[in-house]
Amino acid sequence: MVLENTLPVLLSRMDFAWITSMHILWTPMTIGMSWLLFILEVAWLRTGDERWYKLNRFFEKILIINFGAGVATGVTMEMAFGILYGPFSQAVGPFFGNILGFETITAFMYEAGFIGLMVFGWGKISKGMHLFATFNVGLSSSLSAMWILVANSWMQTPNGIVLKDGLFQVTNWWHAIFNDNFVWGFPHMWVATVELALFVFASVSAWFILKNRNADLFTKLLKPTLLALLIVTPVQIWLGDSVGRDVAMTQPTSLAAMEGHYHTYLPDGKVNTGWHLIAFPNAQNDGNVFAITIPHVLSLLETHTLNGKVTGMDQFPAKDRPDVWVPFYSFRVMVAIGFFLFFVALWGNWLRLRGKLNAESLRKNPWFLRAVVFSGFLPYLAIWCGWWTREIGRQPWVVFNLMRTYQGVSHMSLGQEVFWFVGYIIFELTVWSGAWYFFSRVIAKGVDNIPHSDTLFTHHNEEGSHEEEKAGGGFAKPTFASKPMLDKSR
Amino acid sequence: MFFQDVSRIVGALSTWWWLILCLMFLLYIALDGADLGAGIFALFSPDEEERGAIMASMAGFWDGNETWLVVAGGILFGAFPSVYGSAFNYLLIPLAFALWGIISRAIAFEFHVHAIGSKRFWGWMFAFGSVLAPFGAGVALGGALQGFPMAHHIAAEGVAGAHANAFDAVPHYAGGPFTFLSPFSIWTGFGAVIAASLAGGLYLCARFVPGDVIHERAKKWTNAFSMIALAAIVITLVWSYAIFPWAAAKWTGANWWVWLIWILVILGFAYMSMTAHAASRDFVALLWGEGVVALMWFAMWATMFPYIVPHTWGIQEASNPADSLAVFTLFMTGFVPIMILYNWYQIWVFRGRYTKKAMYAGH
Repeated sequence: MVLENTLPVLLSRMDFAWITSMHILWTPMTIGMSWLLFILEVAWLRTGDERWYKLNRFFEKILIINFGAGVATGVTMEMAFGILYGPFSQAVGPFFGNILGFETITAFMYEAGFIGLMVFGWGKISKGMHLFATFNVGLSSSLSAMWILVANSWMQTPNGIVLKDGLFQVTNWWHAIFNDNFVWGFPHMWVATVELALFVFASVSAWFILKNRNADLFTKLLKPTLLALLIVTPVQIWLGDSVGRDVAMTQPTSLAAMEGHYHTYLPDGKVNTGWHLIAFPNAQNDGNVFAITIPHVLSLLETHTLNGKVTGMDQFPAKDRPDVWVPFYSFRVMVAIGFFLFFVALWGNWLRLRGKLNAESLRKNPWFLRAVVFSGFLPYLAIWCGWWTREIGRQPWVVFNLMRTYQGVSHMSLGQEVFWFVGYIIFELTVWSGAWYFFSRVIAKGVDNIPHSDTLFTHHNEEGSHEEEKAGGGFAKPTFASKPMLDKSR
Repeated sequence: MFFQDVSRIVGALSTWWWLILCLMFLLYIALDGADLGAGIFALFSPDEEERGAIMASMAGFWDGNETWLVVAGGILFGAFPSVYGSAFNYLLIPLAFALWGIISRAIAFEFHVHAIGSKRFWGWMFAFGSVLAPFGAGVALGGALQGFPMAHHIAAEGVAGAHANAFDAVPHYAGGPFTFLSPFSIWTGFGAVIAASLAGGLYLCARFVPGDVIHERAKKWTNAFSMIALAAIVITLVWSYAIFPWAAAKWTGANWWVWLIWILVILGFAYMSMTAHAASRDFVALLWGEGVVALMWFAMWATMFPYIVPHTWGIQEASNPADSLAVFTLFMTGFVPIMILYNWYQIWVFRGRYTKKAMYAGH
């Protein structure tokens, strides 16, 4: 039996998988949406069109709930490597530790230093300064994604290091940072965040149009969003294909698991080129009990030739093979979602070409709107599936081909592992259900109670009788007090 | 000759990161300590309006304050991964509680404003989280002061069929789940809650307009916790002297007079804070109070020198190899003042005194 599937190791994997899966629910929206809010803010400042401002302030409410959930679950992540994977953390410290240090200093804190200004700074800082704050939130969260992907990609393709004295010591920083997997893996993840945020925009807009609330306003948003998606969704498919071919070269076991590809050659000695639509791997993990197979497709996908050789599981000893079930199916779900979202983008722009992308015509044919509302949830599932494919496909290694997962697990009792798991099930589900409940509340409330942007800087005239002593000796107005901007309905 | 130079460089750089680590932890306890303390105060708030006002008072910067802990963790991982990977393993249980407290607070901040029916629930999540976080962190700190057992060949223990491997060259944590637990570590948990409570009282006094209900109660709260905190400091010092030979040896060694002067300065700071507080110069009182925290923190780190974890990890043996440390120093040191600058700016933007009503209604 593969050691990684024995109870203590499996539980420690579950401990980490759970907190990571529940954290990746939040970060993509922060990363993608902060740029979209930046674009909305620029649009407002350049055109003076109040509608962009309203939309910005509305989606900002969703962003800050999302951000709170991201921070709540993210602080744990920064500590969890040492807690759950102590020996791993010690061994990878010279590279991976450095990179996580870079992330906290140049990204996590950078973001925290500007998110307050972005959300609560309206009217307290100048418009230019506010735009600068929004820009910094966008840049810092993207930087964060970059560093985390550097660290994770390096676990997939650990380049630029040598194992000495029990530590992975860096021999070439450039190769370690821009490792094989990172080159495609980071763009794939970053574009996923943009695609998710765009679909959240589209989904919420479609819901409002469907409900005939502020339908014209949200149609105005839906148009450029769908146009952007027409570019983003196919680019993401292309990036995904590139990641796949990279994995085929650098992590053949992972690719074989993703495709349920056990036999490199067919019994008659020819290259096995078949791609499985559905497969049931057997219990010994050395073949499929049942599969629906299309010849040549696998070779086409991975080598871009009809009969190219794709290495199968049979080329590796049983103890080095990952499980197939999760990578195989989660990979297929992710791909299906990727193509479905591309189709939705095509559909929307085709409607626009025919002049039907206006609130009235859209409501006459509500199936498009329903499909878009539904599409807002799919990127979440796709991102989950992608990461499960990636992480389970790498097993039984924590650092591919160099450190087995069981070698990196902390010295914990089963009780501790269960304690962690149960505790985090409670807390992560509280975060998740709370955030989604309040998303729905904010959306249900709508945009109507967002005051005009004129009120942002006029509060100085309305009051002026605040002469209290100021903490820090500086001049400050209790702007919260008189600013309708930030009233209870925030 | 060459290797001697390299080891001197490593020694200098690792000490440099030890100092920055000390500063980051200090920023966390000084800044978030006040926020956490205000949350503990909110545990005794009569209504949701007050809890909401307290949360609103730090809405613009709580996240930045809390993130100093993450930065400290990141520096620990980046410069001293051996400590990160063994001490956190050792402190799994107290850290889990602290992290759960942090989670509760973080979401309560964003949810409380939107809630209608569940306002009470999120108010309590905020207050309880604010107690749990410093308690867990305090227990973890006490546990770290006690040191912990380490061994080679421990990584694969407990996994049947596992065998010795290259990674055993590094010593790993070798104790049990409750090794951290002792009367002293439980006490430091309470000590952290007391210290946070005092800082929170000083912060609320400085944040709310004199005469406001919150200010009035925070004033009494601060008076009470000043006394409790002074008692707690004495208890902690005497207890540490009794059970930590490394501390006792330093305090009563050849340089005993340095420590004596240090204590007198701390008492002076505490006195200044209390008189400023009595005279309603609340922001000044807060600064003197934070000064006490800083001086105590520096004294603790100086007592532990040259160890990061007493008699477990020395600064040099725990640090990354020279190459990693050099890269970390080159690329990250410059960001430290930048981080402090923009955090200061963010706090400065949201400065000023408020009333409970204005703060709550304005949020």
